[in-house]
Amino acid sequence: MSSEIASAIGLSIQVAVAATVLNAFFGVPLAYVLARRRFWGKSAVDLLVTLPLVLPPTVTGYYLIVLLGRRGWLGGPLYQATGWSITFTWYAAVVAATVMALPLLVRTARAAIESVDRDLERAAWTLGRSEWRTALEVTLPLARNGLIAGLVLAFARALGEFGATLMLAGNIPGKTTTAPLAIYTAVQTGERGDALLLVAVLTALSCVVLLVAGRLGPRTI
Amino acid sequence: MSARLEVRLQKRLPGFALDVEWSAGDGVAVLFGPSGAGKSLTLQCLAGLLRPDAGRVTVDGRVLFDSAAGVDTPPQKRRVGYVFQGYALFPHLSVVDNVGFGLRGRPRHERQTRVDAVLAKLGIERLGQRRPAELSGGQRQRVALGRALATDPALLLLDEPLSALDLPLRRALRDELRAILADWGTAAVVVTHDFTEAYRLGDRIVVYEEGRVIQAAPRAELLWQPASQAVARVMGLTNILQGTVLKATPDRIQFRWRGQTLEAVNSPTRSYLPAPDSTLGFFVRPEYVRLIRKDRGLADVAHHMNVMRGRIVREADFGTTWSLYIRLDEPGEPAQGEYDLEVEVPRLVYEILEIEGDRQWEFSIHRGSIHVLPST
Repeated sequence: MSSEIASAIGLSIQVAVAATVLNAFFGVPLAYVLARRRFWGKSAVDLLVTLPLVLPPTVTGYYLIVLLGRRGWLGGPLYQATGWSITFTWYAAVVAATVMALPLLVRTARAAIESVDRDLERAAWTLGRSEWRTALEVTLPLARNGLIAGLVLAFARALGEFGATLMLAGNIPGKTTTAPLAIYTAVQTGERGDALLLVAVLTALSCVVLLVAGRLGPRTI
Repeated sequence: MSARLEVRLQKRLPGFALDVEWSAGDGVAVLFGPSGAGKSLTLQCLAGLLRPDAGRVTVDGRVLFDSAAGVDTPPQKRRVGYVFQGYALFPHLSVVDNVGFGLRGRPRHERQTRVDAVLAKLGIERLGQRRPAELSGGQRQRVALGRALATDPALLLLDEPLSALDLPLRRALRDELRAILADWGTAAVVVTHDFTEAYRLGDRIVVYEEGRVIQAAPRAELLWQPASQAVARVMGLTNILQGTVLKATPDRIQFRWRGQTLEAVNSPTRSYLPAPDSTLGFFVRPEYVRLIRKDRGLADVAHHMNVMRGRIVREADFGTTWSLYIRLDEPGEPAQGEYDLEVEVPRLVYEILEIEGDRQWEFSIHRGSIHVLPST
């Protein structure tokens, strides 16, 4: 295995793990709030989170450039203040993968949280638990399988992310070239052996992910 | 004596308005009425799970909610135990952890002692390590009660506690629940739409209909003196009828109904004295109508009063009893569609009197069995 292939696979896994961790930190609370709270602008938030699922990934990537690029709404001021931009770094690949994976996690986790009997939460309240403690001790443990299934799906989506990553992080070998990008490059340059190897590795990883998700998904405690 | 529980609630929801006021003393109060009358809604307001628009709730003088004073104690601080419909036991926790759930924050040793004591008192000490899915319906009820009672609540609320069970178990658990509630002595409010359940469990029964209280009374009073036709209807009583007053005294009321002159016992405590010619609501329990045996000669006036004649136009077999639907031998429209009176007889009587082949009967109703309903 050439070092470029190894680095592409290593980077992909690194990006997917980081994106999954970010999904867990932001996506699970977001799913809880969407499932259990009523607030102004809820449907807008729901729409915004779900949009990357249906938009072409390059369109999502374009929006991310508008937001985070050197002249972007957030990226612009940051670049002027520090001279640093997220674009064309591996962080950009993480951001792109996180945004693309978020709808899968949020939708799965939200459905799992909504399926928890509300009377169980009410029971916990009358027994002295705050809403926050109730979520930690009752709701999330009972939605556990759905949460894990959502995270597994998010990991798989992050692992295979191509379009938005290419837009925001580019395709810099050894720096931002993830496995899907490396496959594209290998095919373009006629290195069929490299392409085949990468395809085999990603297929194997995806099979493992599907098996794990299949075991967790439908079952409940 | 001031009431332990005083409730005044107003809550508007789309297509429904709750506006109730009642109180209860020691023992068990039952909220009784049809589905959708606002009983469970009341319970949620008492527990702080739903915020009323206006009103006031006090338990033993402690104010839990008072819209005028801006008091709204959160459910966590109300010291109100709640037994949910279907029990809502935490499926991922053992029986011990379920019962100990409300004791968090107390020293471990104290918590364990308390849980052990509760389990022992409910006779489920050997189930401690089981999960709810591994329990029978009766065991779940005890765990749910134990979980709510472990924290020594000032008030215990039970929402249709028996509705998750099938009929034979339901009867057994009803009596068990009654015993447990009596044993712990915690003031309790039970919601049910089943009158037998209400009567067996409640010391005091509050009758709900369409978001309002139509009667609140000790259970015996409710059984024999429903305050109105609406209450009688909600209680599932049959033979709710209307006559015309002839004469009312504190002891007796004479009235006309379907061409008959009938006499009923009035209730001196209620001092209900309707004017002559006014409409009078009354009901007759089907099992209190007496068929007059034909093999004993003429009816003895000393034994029978309010004697009438009629024909059985329909009958229904309920296993241990038969219901007979009798149309009086009087011209005019029958009082209840095709018949005037529903009569219930035990199966044995049905067979001995050979009712199956004999449709024409004389019957009587003792004046104490005609219950007058004030038309409020």
